[in-house]
Amino acid sequence: MIITHDLGKTYGNRAVVDGLDLRVPEGCVYGFLGPNGSGKSTTMKMLLSLVRPTSGEIHIMGRPMRRSTRRELLGHIGSLIESPPAYGHLTGRENMRLVQRLLDLTDNQVTQAVRTVRLRDHLEKKVRDYSLGMKQRLGLAMALAREPRLLILDEPTNGLDPAGIEEIRRLLTKVADDGTTVMVSSHLLGEIDRTATVLGILGNGRMLFQGTRDELFARSVPDVLVDTSEPQRAAALTARWHTSRLDGATVRLSGLDDKATAGVVSLLVHEDIEIHGVRRDSQSLEDVFMDLTEERGL
Amino acid sequence: MGSVRAEFLKLKRSLSWAVVVLLPLMAVTTGVVNTVVSDQQLGNGWHTLWLRVVVFYGLFPLALGVAALASLVWRVEHRGGNWNALMGRPVSSAQVVIAKLAVLAALAAAMQTVLLAGLVVAGKLVFALPGIPPARYLLVSVVIVLACLPVAALQSGLSMLMRSFAAPVAVALLGAVGGVLLVVTRVEGVAMVVPYGLLGRATQLGTGMFVDSGAVTTGVVAALVAAALGLTAAVVAGTATVLDRLDIR
Ligand SMILES: Nc1ncnc2c1ncn2[C@@H]1O[C@H](COP(=O)(O)OP(=O)(O)OP(=O)(O)O)[C@@H](O)[C@H]1O
Ligand SMILES: [Mg+2]
Repeated sequence: MIITHDLGKTYGNRAVVDGLDLRVPEGCVYGFLGPNGSGKSTTMKMLLSLVRPTSGEIHIMGRPMRRSTRRELLGHIGSLIESPPAYGHLTGRENMRLVQRLLDLTDNQVTQAVRTVRLRDHLEKKVRDYSLGMKQRLGLAMALAREPRLLILDEPTNGLDPAGIEEIRRLLTKVADDGTTVMVSSHLLGEIDRTATVLGILGNGRMLFQGTRDELFARSVPDVLVDTSEPQRAAALTARWHTSRLDGATVRLSGLDDKATAGVVSLLVHEDIEIHGVRRDSQSLEDVFMDLTEERGL
Repeated sequence: MGSVRAEFLKLKRSLSWAVVVLLPLMAVTTGVVNTVVSDQQLGNGWHTLWLRVVVFYGLFPLALGVAALASLVWRVEHRGGNWNALMGRPVSSAQVVIAKLAVLAALAAAMQTVLLAGLVVAGKLVFALPGIPPARYLLVSVVIVLACLPVAALQSGLSMLMRSFAAPVAVALLGAVGGVLLVVTRVEGVAMVVPYGLLGRATQLGTGMFVDSGAVTTGVVAALVAAALGLTAAVVAGTATVLDRLDIR
């Protein structure tokens, strides 16, 4: 659905996005993750041709996306970038009518979009008087009304309460089930972890990881924790070959595969150290994410 | 056409209407009060009233009013994610620019209509002038509205680029001063190719003030209209090119 090649954006002499090769498969929910300032919004704006790339190419639905071609593609792309749009001096209904006129939409498309985001009861209110969650939902309705093939959402859960976040999450799943490809950004993995089928993790404008969540797990091996009768000596011994340190009374070894783990056990047995337990640390996706982003000196 | 119609929807409950109504009425009131207070007569009936109201109106207030309208119609786009949404639609940069100009043209026409209506009411009620103003003021009014277009296009471009409400209006003030100087010093050739100068010149049409001969001839009207349309096209093309290269923040 989206393919970029060596996509980059430089402001002044600072590379904000650098050498990005995005692969967003058709029909997936693509979770676009990265800490604040990592370049998520800039990337999404380039995908929509709101910002002109300094380098690289973008192909969406097989067609090049540039300023000169954006018009043909934008009719099929719904988007919500940074803060929600809408005119505060108009009511929700008037804002929807504006989108309808601009995109030549049917009444039914508009009604359907409004129903999807559950905003039907608030259409007569001026948007100025909306809560942030309502504005966010109106923005979504505006993006959805054109029945897009691709939906690009930049932190749609920003500023929402847990119930609002859950609601957006359900909505995205529903939209994706109806066949729309969704690309959604966040700086919190937990927010999109359960909805996203493919993840892209950005750090300092570079892609740190791209793939499924299983692949993300597989990439980093959890630490091995060893409980022994002589933790100090065990730590010192293993440190000769492995990254090892004392974690309370437990020896924590990083980056060990199964074979290396067996090696460590036999070494300790050989050294007459009693082993009380050997186990893998439990690791959440959040830890993996943190590891990945911290590792690169963020 | 969708984008033009959408722009008109945005005018609902807009402050623009206050400018459209109040500015010309203020000009009419000023002209009337000046006449009444100084105890002058309207020696030449409708013509004198027109002189007292429209010439001053054309020197500063009109350009500032158009500038304020341009700032107002762009102000809403600088809020929240509206810029992203505006440019995230399958609409060309030129269409975005033209849609805004169309709205400004309509507002300028409305403003001129209010001015004419105010003038007629004042002439009838305050000065009991006979009949109605000569038809040529209708023609002059059309020329004035057309002459508003280059200023509207230029101010629209400035307000598109600047988030500030006041800065583009300040530019218009400087422009109007420059335009007045051009017209007053009778460098008509230059005045015709500077939007503010052209607007000043157009409001003097048929008044005999400064460079004007006092007659509304086909030649002058044609020159003014051609200059207005040419300048507008040039400014619109320039603005659309700038917008096409712009990174949306
Ligand atoms: N127009 C601009 N001019 C200069 N620098 C910019 C511009 N736009 C963005 N940046 C810089 O680019 C970097 C990336 O910004 P971007 O908004 O893409 O990050 P982000 O991942 O969306 O962050 P957040 O999670 O805070 O939204 C930031 O350091 C920002 O300061
Ligand atoms: Mg962002």
